[in-house]
Amino acid sequence: MKNKLRELRAAREWSQSDLAEKLGVSRQTINAIETEKYDPSLPLAFKIGQLFKQPIETIFEV
Amino acid sequence: MDCRPTLREQFKFNIWLAVTTATYLVTLFLVQHFKEWSPLVQVSVTLLPVLPGLMYLGKGLRLLRQMDELQRRIQLEAWFFAAIGTVIVSAVINVFNAHGLVWETFPHGLEIGGTYLLMFFLWTLGVAFSTRRYQ
Repeated sequence: MKNKLRELRAAREWSQSDLAEKLGVSRQTINAIETEKYDPSLPLAFKIGQLFKQPIETIFEV
Repeated sequence: MDCRPTLREQFKFNIWLAVTTATYLVTLFLVQHFKEWSPLVQVSVTLLPVLPGLMYLGKGLRLLRQMDELQRRIQLEAWFFAAIGTVIVSAVINVFNAHGLVWETFPHGLEIGGTYLLMFFLWTLGVAFSTRRYQ
C-alpha cells in the first residue's frame, strides 16, 4: 500500500524516532511503513491520521 | 520510543531458557544413572524441566505484550516457521525410522531435547529472516 508518511514527517522535520515516539511504536515500524514493506493496522493508521490531522485515505492509498 | 524489549528484559526472559536447559541436562543425567528409581519418580524427575519451561513461557508472553505490532508480526512469523519446520523435520526422521532406515543419532526421533533445540534454532532463523524482510 502506498503512503505519504515520509513526506508528512519530513514536512514537520521529525525524525523516524520522533514519529515512532509520538505513535508509541518502534522506529523499525515507521521505517517499514515508509518503505511500504509493512501495512499498519487500522488502529495505527487512525492514530497516524489523527497525528497529522488528515483522513487516513489521504495518507494511505491502495 | 523503542518498543523492543530492553536488554534487561531479554536477559530476564533468556535466563529461564538457561535454567530450563540446565534442569533438562541434570534430569537426563539423573534418569540415566539412577535406573533403580520407581517409574513414578523417574517420570516426575523427567518432567522437572517443565516448571522452568512454564516460567520461560510466561516471561515470553509478557515480552510479547510489550512489543508493537510489527515486532509481534515478526515473532508470529518466526514461531510459525519454527513450528512447521520442527514438524517437518520430525516427520521426516520418523518416516526414515519407520522404514528401517534408522539414523544412529535419532533412533527414537528427536525426543524432547532435540525437538526443543531444533525449534529454538528455527525460531532464531525465523526472527533473522523476518527482521531483514521488514528493514
